[in-house]
Amino acid sequence: MTDKLNYAQVGRRRLMKGAGLAGIAGLAGCVGTGDPGSGDGSDGGDGSDGSDGSDGSGGSDDSGNAAMASEIDVWGWDVAARALQITAEEYEAENDATVAVEEFGRSAMKDRLQTNLLSGSGAPAVSMLESVDGPSFIATDSVAPLTDEIEEAGVQEDFISGKWEALTVGGDIYALPWDTGPTAVYYRRSVYDEHDIDPSSIETWADLIEEGQKLPDDQYMLNLPEGDLSGVWRYQFRQLSGEPFLDSGEVNIHNEKSLKVAQNIKEIYDADIAANIEGWTSAWFSAYGDATIASLPSAAWMEGTLRAELPDTAGDWGVYKIPALESGGPRASNWGGSNLMIANQVSEEKKQRGWDYMEWSLATEEMQLAMYDEYGLFPALETVYDEPVFDEELDFYDGQAARALFAEVAQNAPGYRFTADTPEVSQAMETELQRMINGEQSPEEAVQAAAETVAENTDRDLA
Amino acid sequence: MRDQRRKDAVWQFLTYAFVITMVIVMMVPLYWMLVAATLPQEQFLQFPPRLIPGTAFMDNFAALQERLDFVRTIRNSVLIAVIYTLLSLVLCSMAGFAFAKYEFKYKEPIFYTILATLVLPIQLLVIPLFLLMAQLDWTNTFRAIILPWAANPIGIFLMRQNMKSIPDALLESARMDGATEFQIFYRIALPTMRSSLAALAIILFLFQWDLFLYPLVILESSDMYTIPIGLAQLTGFQRIYYDQIMVAATLAIVPMVVLFLVLQKQFVSGILAGSLKE
Amino acid sequence: MATSDETTDRTGQAYRRRVSEKVREATRKFRRAFRPAWDRFRFARQDLTAATPTLPRVAYLFISPFFLLFSVFLAFPVFYTLYLSFFEYQGVGQGSLFWIDLGPLYIEIPRIAQLDFVALGNYARLLGNDLFWQSMFNTSYILVIQVPLMIGLALALALALNASFMRLKGVFRTAIALPVSANLVAYSTVFLLLFNEQLGFLNYMLAGVGLGPVPWLTDGFWARNTIIAAVTWRWTGYNMIILLAGLQTIPQQLYEAAEIDGANRWEKFRYVTLPQLKPVLLFVVVLSTIGTFKLFAEPYVITGGGPTNSTITIVQYIYRQAFINFNLGYASALTVVFVAIVSVFSVVQIKIGGED
Repeated sequence: MTDKLNYAQVGRRRLMKGAGLAGIAGLAGCVGTGDPGSGDGSDGGDGSDGSDGSDGSGGSDDSGNAAMASEIDVWGWDVAARALQITAEEYEAENDATVAVEEFGRSAMKDRLQTNLLSGSGAPAVSMLESVDGPSFIATDSVAPLTDEIEEAGVQEDFISGKWEALTVGGDIYALPWDTGPTAVYYRRSVYDEHDIDPSSIETWADLIEEGQKLPDDQYMLNLPEGDLSGVWRYQFRQLSGEPFLDSGEVNIHNEKSLKVAQNIKEIYDADIAANIEGWTSAWFSAYGDATIASLPSAAWMEGTLRAELPDTAGDWGVYKIPALESGGPRASNWGGSNLMIANQVSEEKKQRGWDYMEWSLATEEMQLAMYDEYGLFPALETVYDEPVFDEELDFYDGQAARALFAEVAQNAPGYRFTADTPEVSQAMETELQRMINGEQSPEEAVQAAAETVAENTDRDLA
Repeated sequence: MRDQRRKDAVWQFLTYAFVITMVIVMMVPLYWMLVAATLPQEQFLQFPPRLIPGTAFMDNFAALQERLDFVRTIRNSVLIAVIYTLLSLVLCSMAGFAFAKYEFKYKEPIFYTILATLVLPIQLLVIPLFLLMAQLDWTNTFRAIILPWAANPIGIFLMRQNMKSIPDALLESARMDGATEFQIFYRIALPTMRSSLAALAIILFLFQWDLFLYPLVILESSDMYTIPIGLAQLTGFQRIYYDQIMVAATLAIVPMVVLFLVLQKQFVSGILAGSLKE
Repeated sequence: MATSDETTDRTGQAYRRRVSEKVREATRKFRRAFRPAWDRFRFARQDLTAATPTLPRVAYLFISPFFLLFSVFLAFPVFYTLYLSFFEYQGVGQGSLFWIDLGPLYIEIPRIAQLDFVALGNYARLLGNDLFWQSMFNTSYILVIQVPLMIGLALALALALNASFMRLKGVFRTAIALPVSANLVAYSTVFLLLFNEQLGFLNYMLAGVGLGPVPWLTDGFWARNTIIAAVTWRWTGYNMIILLAGLQTIPQQLYEAAEIDGANRWEKFRYVTLPQLKPVLLFVVVLSTIGTFKLFAEPYVITGGGPTNSTITIVQYIYRQAFINFNLGYASALTVVFVAIVSVFSVVQIKIGGED
């Protein structure tokens, strides 16, 4: 019993001593909150207070500005990563630096990058960033702003204007555009010829549906997978220059334009000309391989996939612009596209080297063309479209100068206001459009319900 | 008498039929995985589906090996899983024994708290754990993968449940003979738990074998990757490398089969009865 | 005193009562044999406790390595999640939370996140959220069907493989347990292909017997069944192994005693096996319940949560909120609620399962 009492007393005494010490230390300025070296406790500066001098910040760059790291790592997935290998090799040849490109599986990379960004350590100097994810990532304050660098390099006008919107938040630009996805409908020439379908006569979706009826029951005009209705909705909504949120922030996905798109999707579905196969599955490849499905509304990057996966179909493809939703309406939109970003947590030297590499890879015509040539990544660098290679007649398309078509679409595609709440929009639209297709609700109800869900989940008002 | 024998025969037949049906059901998808591993991608994607294995296994394997050093990946997974299993077996059996056979303060609340952590979905644990590892400078190490989970609630739960059935009398008589607690644990309790330990070994091994999200985030260099990470690398955006995935998955089954075979002997009946007679 | 009629009567309550009594008798005899030893022990123990106060401490010694690792690695994430649930996540933290600079010694703890205090805001939000309730419904639906199905199968298989007349036990055992070793990505892909509506093997076979194609992945009801099938396929063997191990700790004497009294298979099962197996069976039930509650990977890969959110599970919803929408605070609150619900459920199961 007496032991316990003593222990308690001892404990208290120790506490007092500790408190005293802490107080003195605080006064002496050895202990505090906030940034060491800044007198206050506010969140000052960027998060890269790493006391690691292990970046190997050797050698200044050509322009004699801030020192650049001699080694950086770059993350990408799939063909994009391999494309970066090309530019990395060239870069290393011209500069005294090592650029290590690492290739990941797409969802694996996203999981890992997010964790590293959110926990403040482990992120690479440069990494891929899809436009659709842009604002979400930027909102976490873990992406480094590149406004100054872009301004200094003067490259803003060189890129397609529609790209910048997704990468700009609060006046600052956070990434450099890489590739873009101008939309077009790929079609199998042999099937169209066999059934007397003339692509130049297809100007509106109504036309397409009508032509689609010419196909027999076991063939489909296009694929409308239930699992990606939100993607379809988005590119058509964008085609009409629709914006999911107003400037002032209200939810706007239930407006006239969205309704038109929903009705269009319903019509396509009701006309029974669409297959319902989930994209990128073996069934999907198989269906396109044997021409069970005749057309593929998609974007420029699909070419790479078709070449790689269905090599036997080469020469049987053609492209035409996405049909308009109404006669005379716009026929240009965008689906996908990536950019490169720099994480906030890396040191200034790494950031500078990363930027130098990025500029080299993305803002140089030579490099963008190389990546396009090898891997089918359609450049967002507008200045490149003047190159003769874009007017080339391509065997894959039976002699059509497809690149010129893509370039035209790319330049006319409207911008799009992606935000941190874009995932909510996609999820809500997906659910409601699926219900619409199942006959559970009308297009009006679908877009209204989606808008309400988004408004509720994101604490915004309805427009 | 004959009636009984016939009833027995019918019963045995039914039992065999049931077991064999289940075996077939279990094996069909695995068989298809094997077939897929032996076919080049285009043949795999055709319809109606092929059922006869092809000859492209080595080609697919070569392609796989070129993309990521899969042999090394298997080695990593096996190494981590084995060390983890051994470590966790020791920890969990000791702790389970304590919970089953001793009385001490706060026993119930502690046990339920440990059990509650079983419920935690790993997704949300990943970020704080990664932070911790970053602070400790343990990123890209095996110990970062093994240690946080060594105190596995499943293990302690299973051991506790199984050890409850050890007759206290057995332990008491040993104590009377002057054995220390640890000797009792080691020489008496453990041997009777052979099949449970084997089951636990499988559970622990599998747990570590399957871990995906956490190692994905901790392991940074590709020569440290484990199998699930390796397979995730093969699922790109536009292209899913089916043939390589199937080869990898088929190969990944082998260590588990080895584990089962190694533990075969432990699944023996009636151990407890034997020790009681003495 | 039993009459000759009663001894030959193999059905009826009286008989059953006698069998169970016999079993109880056997266990009682069992215990009685050790009673003198037990008593002796009790006295000895009391002396021991007086002399050497080390007995209770030993227990702590046994659990300390476990507990040490546990608290170091799991306590922090747990408390951090709880802490986060009262905030709204704004972004990555800038600057430090706390630093100590004493010349040679420098410790800095970075601020992890920028947070807005919302108290119970996140909790209120989840209560009103349709998708949350949908995911609760999906998860419960799958749970209620899948767990009993799987445990029933696992138990039946374990009993079958424990039977004395069974040959090739090792082979069957390995074959049935093998699915558990299939990597998630690979086997989900296989199931995706097998269950494909137009080109899948399953519908191909069903068509062969004249049954129409089943929309395994495109219809809400069937999609859930597909998930149930996948999970059951994967985990039945695993649970079978555990139950088998449990079966093997049941002393033969008890079976022999029951047999002497002419108990048939069913009665042996009901009066010997089942009671003895209870602790392990409880383990399997609780574990499977928790496991199915936590279901994430299969719906994520096979159905993506669809169609129309009919297969999205709670953990999937949490993952979406955390990793896609970056609502870490909300996701933490969801996790807390989820853990609370499942823990209560498990505790109830354990209590009902009877702790002897």
